[in-house]
Formats: sequence, C-alpha cells, structure tokens
Amino acid sequence: MADLSKNPIAIFGTSLVVGVASGMFGIGGGVLLVPLLVLIHHFEQHRAQGTSLLALVPPTGLFAFLTYYAAREVDIRTGLLLIPGIFFGGIIGGRVAVKLSARRMRRVFASILFLLGTWEFIAPMLRH
Amino acid sequence: MHWLVIVALGFVVGILVGIMGIGGGIIVVPALVHFAGMDQHVAQGTSLFIILWPLGLGAVSVYWKKHDVDLRAGIICVVGMLVGGYLGGRVAVGLASGHLESAFGLFLMLAAVLLWYRAQPKSIERDARG
Repeated sequence: MADLSKNPIAIFGTSLVVGVASGMFGIGGGVLLVPLLVLIHHFEQHRAQGTSLLALVPPTGLFAFLTYYAAREVDIRTGLLLIPGIFFGGIIGGRVAVKLSARRMRRVFASILFLLGTWEFIAPMLRH
Repeated sequence: MHWLVIVALGFVVGILVGIMGIGGGIIVVPALVHFAGMDQHVAQGTSLFIILWPLGLGAVSVYWKKHDVDLRAGIICVVGMLVGGYLGGRVAVGLASGHLESAFGLFLMLAAVLLWYRAQPKSIERDARG
C-alpha cells in the first residue's frame, strides 16, 4: 500500500477537516492540526507544532470569521485587547517549548482541557 | 470585564500558544464565556477575529530557526483551512447557543485525548536526540 503520510492530497484532506472544526468552534485549529500531523502524517512533534503555527500565520480563518461577522457575533473591542498579550506570550512560550521536552506540561494541559470540555458540555444543560 | 484583565488573559493564552503550538482559541472561547459572560457565538466570533492577525509569527520564528517548520505542508493546510472554515462557520451560525456550547465541550474533550496521546513515541525520539 502506498504511504499516504506525506501525500499533499492527504494533508489537504486533513486540513479541510481542521478548517470545518475551526469555523464551527471559533478556534484556530492548531489543537487539531498538530496531533493529526503527528498521528496520521508522522511528523516529528516539534515540526508538527512549527508547521501548524506557520499555517496559522495567514488569516486562515478569514471566511469563518466573515460568517460570524455577518451574523453580528463578534466583539471587536475585547478581541483587540487580547491581541498584544497573545503575541508576546507566544514568543515566550515558543522559547520555552524548543528548550524543554514539553511532554509532561502537555499532559497537564490535556487534563485541564478535558475537564474544561466536560464543563462546557454540561453547563448549558444546568442552565435550563 | 476590566481591560487590564483582558490583556493579562491574552498574555497567558499567548504563552500556551507558544508552548503547545496551538492557536489559542481553544482557551479564549471558554474564558470569554465563563469570565466575561459572553454568549457562545460571540465568544467564537471574537476568537476568530483574534486569529485573523498573525499572532503566531513570534512563535513561528523560534521554530523556523530550529528547522522545525514544513513550508509545503503549511501552505497546503492554509488552503484547506480557509475552505473548511467557511463551511464550519455556516453550520455554527445556524445552531442554538446551548447546543453549540455542548458541541464545543465535546470537541475540547476530543482535543484533550489527542493532545495526551501525541505526547508519546515521536517526542521521546526527539528527547533522546536531545
């Protein structure tokens, strides 16, 4: 069987799925793109993270954003206030990541994310 | 929410962005819903607004210097995500806020499982190489 791991069409298919999730959930998609590059396309971990960050440099979510904007579901002021911190924090985080093996840190993060997800899943039901 | 709190929140999110190689929306969305009392749709739309800007640029430069960027795969992903993002946005805008938040919760759980498992064999190789 042909190895599809680094096939451009297979990578395109993966990124299309990531894009749908990005538009549906208002996220950048890196959280999905990084593990999929590693698990399906056999990228080395740091390379997957670097490539994912590169893919997020252009306004990848532009069309997704426009659908929300047209539906008046965007708070521009809060968005602008969040930007400087994310930019400078990103440089610091990047330096930390290339120096240390972030494996344990990632597992702590995954655990927090799981609890957060459980909360988000249940919260709307509790409000009724 | 006070503007300084929002700026500080952005800073914490940014550090996670650099360490995990993720976009940050996955943290921004729940933070805006639960700390700022924002509606799920507005939180998601605001998150998408944030990531329109090249926020990961600082982090990318660090990875680039270490040759940890695949340029070709990155460009392919940009195209796929542009198209997919439009489709996903259309679906989300049509959903009720409560349903969308629950779906977001399920998505976070899936992302958490993926994050946990990807930490395994490849990164060990890398660690061994130093």
